[in-house]
Amino acid sequence: MTPMLDIVFILLIFFIVTATFIREQGFDVTKPDDTDEPQNLERRAAVLVQLDKNSNIIIERRKIDVRSVRAAIEAKIAEDPQTVVVVQVHEDAETGVMTNVMDQARMARAPVSVTKLDAAAAQAAGIR
Amino acid sequence: MAKKPELDEEEPEINMTPMLDIVFIMLIFFIVTAVFVKEAGIDVDRPDAQTADQVDRVSIIIAVSNNDEVWINKNEVDVRDITPIVQKLKKENPKGKIVIQADEKSKSGLVVDIMDQLNALGVAGVAISTLEDS
Repeated sequence: MTPMLDIVFILLIFFIVTATFIREQGFDVTKPDDTDEPQNLERRAAVLVQLDKNSNIIIERRKIDVRSVRAAIEAKIAEDPQTVVVVQVHEDAETGVMTNVMDQARMARAPVSVTKLDAAAAQAAGIR
Repeated sequence: MAKKPELDEEEPEINMTPMLDIVFIMLIFFIVTAVFVKEAGIDVDRPDAQTADQVDRVSIIIAVSNNDEVWINKNEVDVRDITPIVQKLKKENPKGKIVIQADEKSKSGLVVDIMDQLNALGVAGVAISTLEDS
């Protein structure tokens, strides 16, 4: 029995050592499933937060500071509690700024989604 | 009466069976819970956040470096190859979550691209990695 016990112990130690209970911190960015049914989101008011290529934050054509994003979103939520936040990022905007904006929106307890800023939306918002 | 001293001389044996049972149960527990994380292979400067959630049971880490290289499973990969690679890795651990470790200075267009690809795959539980702001 002793050799089997040796093997079992070695296996046990191996699995204990390799057991990595990784605990990451982060934002969940899973989008709702694509369905043909009209999405509830579309009927809800949305705050559009746009990032241009120099990572400037733009809400309603006005450039604002990262720290004011939360206040701006909270003002919108006060008007309509169903408000959602849509972050539109330019291809070249920094990820750090994008996550900061998401963080601010989460602090304001608004659902956030992220999309890319397409050319048409950029032009409509006056972003080059 | 002559037999008794003989009995005392016999070496006492420890009953190993209960210990063996416990060791086996522990072994099975660790085998079942073993999640072999596919580490990205590079260190990135993750953005700070105050509202981050804990993400458990991470199985795949996708890293985006500050010069916009994408790393999965210790290899640098092309953005267009992410879908097949993730599909393959996902088979090994279908319930594991995927974390995108994006550098603060990386281009967000690339990160959103990766997010869109993972969402198109129907992967549940995609998260962007952040650091807790103290």
